[in-house]
Amino acid sequence: MMNLMDLLKWILDLLFSPWLFVPLIFPGLITVFAILLFIIWFERKLAAKVQLRYGPLYVLKQLGGAIQLVADLIRYLFAEPIVPEQTDKLAFVLGPIFLFAASFIPCVIIPVSSSFYAIRSDIGLLISLGLLTFSPAIILIIGWASNNKFSLIGGLREGYLTMAYEIPLFISALSMAALYGTMDLIEMVETQSEGTWGIILNPLAALTFLILAFMSTSRFPFEIVEAESEIVMGPFTEYSGILYGLTMGASYVKFYVLCLLFSIMFLGGWQPVPSLLSWSPLFSRIILPGVILLLKSLVIMIFGVFLRSVYPRYRIDQALKIGWHMILPLSIGSVFLSLGLILLGVVP
Amino acid sequence: MSEERTIELLIGPQHPSSGHMRLYAEVDGDIVVRLRPNIGYVHRTVEKLAETKKYIQIIPLVERPSLADTANHNLGYVLALEKLLGIEAPPRAQYLRTILAEMNRIHSHFYGLGIHGIMLGSSTIFMWGFADREIMIEMAQRLTGARLTYSYIIPGGVRRDLPQGFEDEMEKALRYIERRLKDYGKLFLRNPVTRARLEGVGVLKKEDAIKLGIVGPNLRASGVPYDVRKVQPYCAYPELEFDVAVREEGDSMARVLVRVEEIRQSMRIIRQVLKQIPDGPILSENYLKMIPPKWKEFVEKKGRIKFPAIMANLRPPKGEAFSRVEAARGELVYYIVSDGSVTPYRLRMVTPSFRNVVLFEHLIQGCRVADIPAIYGSLDYFPPEADR
Repeated sequence: MMNLMDLLKWILDLLFSPWLFVPLIFPGLITVFAILLFIIWFERKLAAKVQLRYGPLYVLKQLGGAIQLVADLIRYLFAEPIVPEQTDKLAFVLGPIFLFAASFIPCVIIPVSSSFYAIRSDIGLLISLGLLTFSPAIILIIGWASNNKFSLIGGLREGYLTMAYEIPLFISALSMAALYGTMDLIEMVETQSEGTWGIILNPLAALTFLILAFMSTSRFPFEIVEAESEIVMGPFTEYSGILYGLTMGASYVKFYVLCLLFSIMFLGGWQPVPSLLSWSPLFSRIILPGVILLLKSLVIMIFGVFLRSVYPRYRIDQALKIGWHMILPLSIGSVFLSLGLILLGVVP
Repeated sequence: MSEERTIELLIGPQHPSSGHMRLYAEVDGDIVVRLRPNIGYVHRTVEKLAETKKYIQIIPLVERPSLADTANHNLGYVLALEKLLGIEAPPRAQYLRTILAEMNRIHSHFYGLGIHGIMLGSSTIFMWGFADREIMIEMAQRLTGARLTYSYIIPGGVRRDLPQGFEDEMEKALRYIERRLKDYGKLFLRNPVTRARLEGVGVLKKEDAIKLGIVGPNLRASGVPYDVRKVQPYCAYPELEFDVAVREEGDSMARVLVRVEEIRQSMRIIRQVLKQIPDGPILSENYLKMIPPKWKEFVEKKGRIKFPAIMANLRPPKGEAFSRVEAARGELVYYIVSDGSVTPYRLRMVTPSFRNVVLFEHLIQGCRVADIPAIYGSLDYFPPEADR
């Protein structure tokens, strides 16, 4: 009997060790799938509400078709992933897998609470943003490997857009790092819990970061890479089956990671944690902060997917113009705003 | 091997937004150097088929090419046929024809707006457009009994009289559409992204529009106030007040706004028609007296025409007739040659989409790849109507 209890405790300890919990449970794989399940369903439901229709309904009717994506995923899994004759087969097959992985990996840098994290680094923000820059390169490879003109154009569009969004994205993130005087994600949250949230201190950086997050994950009105009415499905035109499922999921995962970073940098992360049930370290250290962080990111994600029902898409040259002529000066402005705040002594 | 600067993009016929046609585009970077529409994928030999069918059977046939605009196609053919036969519909039938034609115009413009929405990426406008077209489909169903292909307009009149309570239902429907148009304005027409995509894109100059023989809203968006309903009025149009929607800009946005304004004018016409509609028979006296006495009572009580036997074998005298109407997408022309038999010797129909197809080559040259669907949608081009 004692042995069994020991075994249970050992399993629990293993499960709640940060090296397993963070990549696997939160904010890692299981949460990613739960988020995918929820946000795609919610996006469709929200759009349906605006568009005077029902949206997904028949898979689990009691919850309004909430597990529609499970059905879709099963369909994707059993559909034949067709690999066209003339493609670069290795790049074609591995591309979506790497794309999904590259979008997902930055999750491991995200801390769950001040005392619970897998990796803590002085340059946590830089690592996570750096890891996020892998996926555009893979999309470019996919677009080239597909041997399809629409894929090629889509890949090149991604390449052009990357130039337009990545530089200001880094600048506005780094302006916050300058403001907090650290690139450690945990210290950023703690600085905010002492003062005010980053979104109030530097709204310019928050605005630019948010717009660029939409741009980098092809949310409307910047859904330019996959623009269906122009270039079919952009780089992913030739994909079918689970390979297509991965490419579709990857942009949502990247969006999720960016929203987590947004809540950590601008919305106070997991703070304030209510002192509810503080006798249980499991609850106050992991679950409660995790849920708060998740909810904050979810609000941003819902806002992001809601734009689908409001905006058409921009043309590529207009999006580039917005990136270079509008967002870049604004993000540089946010750096100066941060410096000004430091000089004024607003930040401790 | 010489170095190539351009790549060929074959947009369609298997493409999400090509419709039933292929656009052959030569692209240099993001600029379209040359674009040629390749039409004919849905050619259904309507003109040749008409030579094998009796006059009354051609009514459903000419409706088929244009799904969203069946009443106007029906009307144009019947007007030409009536000229051949030398009969005229009674005033009440003329008003009923007008009301159905205008309902169809609203329906067609919502359809076009929805398609344009999805081409720009706005799925909301697609759904709204297709949902709101349903209002006019439903009202047409009450009037004619069919949702799309009404075959309502027959030589000498119309098939059915106004159903009971139609005026009130219509008023409700029109109020709903007025409300919806405000939403369209908020979400789509004044949306900064829409305006960025459409304003100044695909500008059609006035002279070019006239020179290329463009018709319909595309012509009126370039500043030419040409509307067959005003130039050569038919049916009840001479007695009705309405404005021709004209804009000067000639860009894609102007074409959209002209259509939206036309929806408003059509609603104005429908309201006037329902107010002014005279009493009387709905079928020409020539045919009404041929209906057997057994059925005559039914026709008078129910307001539904039972076809007199002569309709099956209409034999217009030898000759030719020409008619034109303003369909939703522009001027629609019918030309019938009769050799005195039960089938026409030749039926020619020139559809507005066919006359506007030249714009693809003219407007898209020099635009960007993303402008192809934006301009395509603004032309409200309908491949089956062009191919016939």
